[in-house]
Amino acid sequence: MSNVTTGKFSIEDLENVQVTIENIVGAIEEVEETEEEMGVTPKPGISSLRHWDFNLLNRYEPIYTPMCDQCCYCTFGKCDLSGNKEGACGIDMKAHQAREFLLRVITGASAHTGHGRHLLHHLIEKYGRDHPIDVGSSNLKTPVMQTVTGYKPETLGDLEKALDYVEEQITQLLATIHMGQEGEAIDFESKALHGGMLDHVGMEISDIAQISCLKMPKSDPESPLAEIGMGCIDSSKPMLLTIGHNVSGVTNIIDYIDEQGLSDDIEIAGLCCTAIDMTRYNTDEGDEPKSKVIGSLAKELKMIRSGVPDVIVVDEQCVRADILREAQRLSIPVISTNDKIMYGLKDRSNDNVDEILGDLESGNEPGALILDFDKLGELAPRLAMDMAPIREEKGIKSLPTSEELQELTERCVHCKECELVCPTNLSISDAMSAAESGDFAPFEELHDKCVACGRCEQVCPKDIPVLNVIEKSAQRVIREEKGKLRSGRGQVSDPEIREEGVNLVLGTTPGIIALVGCSNYPEGTKDLYRIADEMLKRNYIVVVSGCSAMDLGMYRNEDGNTLYEEYPGKFIKGNLLNVGSCVSNSHITGTAIKVASIFAQRNVTGNFEEIADYILNRIGAVGVAWGAYSQKASSIATGCNRFGIPVIIGPHGSKYRRALIGKPYDKDKWTVYDARNGEELQIPPSPEFLLSTVESVEELMPMLAKNCMRPSDNNMGRMIKLTNYIELSEKYLGVMPEDWYQFVRTETDLPLTKRGDLLKKLESEHGWEIDWKKKKIISGPSMKFDVSSQPTNVKRLCKEA
Amino acid sequence: MVDAIKNTRVYTTWGTKNAKPVQPKVAAKTISKAKRPLMVVGADLLKNKEVLDRAVTIAKTAGIPVAATGHSIKELVDKGVSAKYINIHSLGLYLCDPNWEGLDGNGCYDMAIILGHKKYYINQVLSGLKNFTNLKTISIDKHYLQNATMSFGNLSDEKHLEALDELIENL
Ligand code: SF4
Ligand code: SF4
Ligand code: SF4
Repeated sequence: MSNVTTGKFSIEDLENVQVTIENIVGAIEEVEETEEEMGVTPKPGISSLRHWDFNLLNRYEPIYTPMCDQCCYCTFGKCDLSGNKEGACGIDMKAHQAREFLLRVITGASAHTGHGRHLLHHLIEKYGRDHPIDVGSSNLKTPVMQTVTGYKPETLGDLEKALDYVEEQITQLLATIHMGQEGEAIDFESKALHGGMLDHVGMEISDIAQISCLKMPKSDPESPLAEIGMGCIDSSKPMLLTIGHNVSGVTNIIDYIDEQGLSDDIEIAGLCCTAIDMTRYNTDEGDEPKSKVIGSLAKELKMIRSGVPDVIVVDEQCVRADILREAQRLSIPVISTNDKIMYGLKDRSNDNVDEILGDLESGNEPGALILDFDKLGELAPRLAMDMAPIREEKGIKSLPTSEELQELTERCVHCKECELVCPTNLSISDAMSAAESGDFAPFEELHDKCVACGRCEQVCPKDIPVLNVIEKSAQRVIREEKGKLRSGRGQVSDPEIREEGVNLVLGTTPGIIALVGCSNYPEGTKDLYRIADEMLKRNYIVVVSGCSAMDLGMYRNEDGNTLYEEYPGKFIKGNLLNVGSCVSNSHITGTAIKVASIFAQRNVTGNFEEIADYILNRIGAVGVAWGAYSQKASSIATGCNRFGIPVIIGPHGSKYRRALIGKPYDKDKWTVYDARNGEELQIPPSPEFLLSTVESVEELMPMLAKNCMRPSDNNMGRMIKLTNYIELSEKYLGVMPEDWYQFVRTETDLPLTKRGDLLKKLESEHGWEIDWKKKKIISGPSMKFDVSSQPTNVKRLCKEA
Repeated sequence: MVDAIKNTRVYTTWGTKNAKPVQPKVAAKTISKAKRPLMVVGADLLKNKEVLDRAVTIAKTAGIPVAATGHSIKELVDKGVSAKYINIHSLGLYLCDPNWEGLDGNGCYDMAIILGHKKYYINQVLSGLKNFTNLKTISIDKHYLQNATMSFGNLSDEKHLEALDELIENL
């Protein structure tokens, strides 16, 4: 730990700003001279922001929904913790669940940070330590890093210091998972929030490094469009499929294909975030992407089972564990390129390319580990070109023929074993009956909901390859799966913030909806399109990334356009921005930080708490990870939470074991200070939670509008937000929301078209006093409206505190 | 009479404490005995009109207030039941709080009756209630919900309707 983070500062010390600043600045020699003064917590240690966490956790209480009643962490166990019992070490169920959640968060943070370290290592080797950081027209280039660590990196080499810090902190956090360490849930929670914050630094390092070196779009609202979907793959060409999240090695493949003039001869497409980053590679000057995108993890088995790929190249994260086995069955060689996933393959990094080709093409070896990217660049395309005719000659096919499909559906005995194990209990048995009589509609529908996990096949007593049956039956719709994806634009730029910041803080732009995360959706991929479509029409800024960005591009509106073609990609109301891959999620928190810095002139450098407090109270942003499944999704969400951004996850997200939800009925929890004088102010219950799950898209829609309301909204802003809340509730829930009146401060907050009616309701249902002549509220609201009040949760930031 | 507890198979287990399988008649008696029951109905209810009708009948017959989660409220307004929208995860938190005054201000509940939910989702919510409250939860859904206090077994759609009808008869 650094001197700073081991320095003792308790809450009392922090109230004395002067002393604290001196202590910290004195202790940090590594932090460069910056124009801004250093904030109070550069490079925070585990305990440095604990009082901020406790502040959040006081309002947003953890609710635990265990996945297991037991703990089996050490040999004292297994221990039965059900009913919140204590285990042999004294830990109770709540603390253990918080520990489990922390473990998820730091696993996710490690994945991004490990990715960042690998990428940075590679890029520094290739481009040099002095390669400049270049993210486009921004001075605040690394907002997350600067806020957390106080660093302002200028070169690739500078990023290493922040990475060292993150790695050290993750190690410290992992240590606390060990038996006999932390004992209270609340401190595990604070640690989880710490881990989430670190994750955003790790992600930012990864994306900033690759944007700077790999000629990716730099805050470009018109980044090019890429083709997406299983239907856009030209299966007549040799096909090279990439899977994973780390594009570093794949760039060598793209370069080789380019240099050899093979672009028209090979189909190169990817799954998961590597695919997104491939479409960003070399497109900063408006060039067309050189590759296509297939989709998310949920398409991995589907794509392999289609039999189309001739070579599979895997790197890291969200790659199925059975890729090699699945590929081997279809004579598809697998090249592993990252030491995180090696599948037991022989390391051929130092061997001659022709020798490796010989071994893979003959089937002597099912794949190879190649850690030398120059070699990979040549090997993978050549292998694809060679394998295509070999596989064709062998007559490799995967999906059943129509006759075989008939036989398979007839074989089903409708025992429903498959349905019991299916993650969403899909109605496979009925779909089998329908298909047997030639009706494929149920399977076509099921195809979109099926996440291709393969669990059904593991249990079928009749050995029916259920996924193959689904995929064969859904061929018609799969052929139609062709869309467009705007390739990731990177950060929101400083000039964009200058233009839009004021609208966000006053609420006249009703909010930012960030659709992020993975593909474990409750009812298929179209939900994402519905959410974005609805919110864009209502002038929200919709920001997307990762798998959500992909799945959104799969659908077209009545005019035949995807939303990417329909809506421009600037950071202003009613625009749709794809920031990029999983690691680009850091730009979402980065954007909020930039509003605090550029619009509100807050000092961000090493000043986490003040910035998070600003975001919580003024920036109406809500994250939605509708299909979150990964540990990374939990760390991304938790990082957003510590920064004051609420996140909603789909129903599968309940398996993360804990949410952070407020109690609107507990009025004492919904107060803030007015930084001008330290007086307490009542605020509306929004955001109502920091992390919560939601059952259906219909439930989600009004919830989005409601949770974009912030104490800083001006009348116009509140009116717009409240109008959206009421309209969405009426549209999707069929009712006026119960709590609408809690957001009303003055009559001018009320939706214009309904003002008279709503005033009547306030009088008759809530006992408010109304001056009917002037159509004014005389008494009733629990909140005062004062446009110049400065809401804060942090007492030390108040003038007269 | 339907045998509603024949099949209580689970795919994976949460661990040490599993729902007691319950027949419709016993379920009806238990519900009738509750002092302050709450019917918690989810959005999957809207996928099957027959089940929806029975949910309304149960709430009306036994005079039980309804927590309409997801967007189930859409089909429960104007049906003569006292239904209010609430998010299921928030409800899970509030039910752990003895100071919560309930949806109607009359205090917390002593029983939750579960119907119309996604199995994997409601099992999580029930896991929280099982571990951190003394609330009795009784599932009359078509899946065996192992984290409830009591639950029907796994039922086909037809058997489920029969079970619900039998429950209604015995309320
Ligand atoms: S860590 Fe504690 S609760 Fe877990 S098995 Fe060991 S003694 Fe039991
Ligand atoms: S497990 Fe196999 S046999 Fe049983 S219903 Fe499913 S597909 Fe049919
Ligand atoms: S492969 Fe699809 S149908 Fe089979 S269990 Fe997984 S999600 Fe369900």
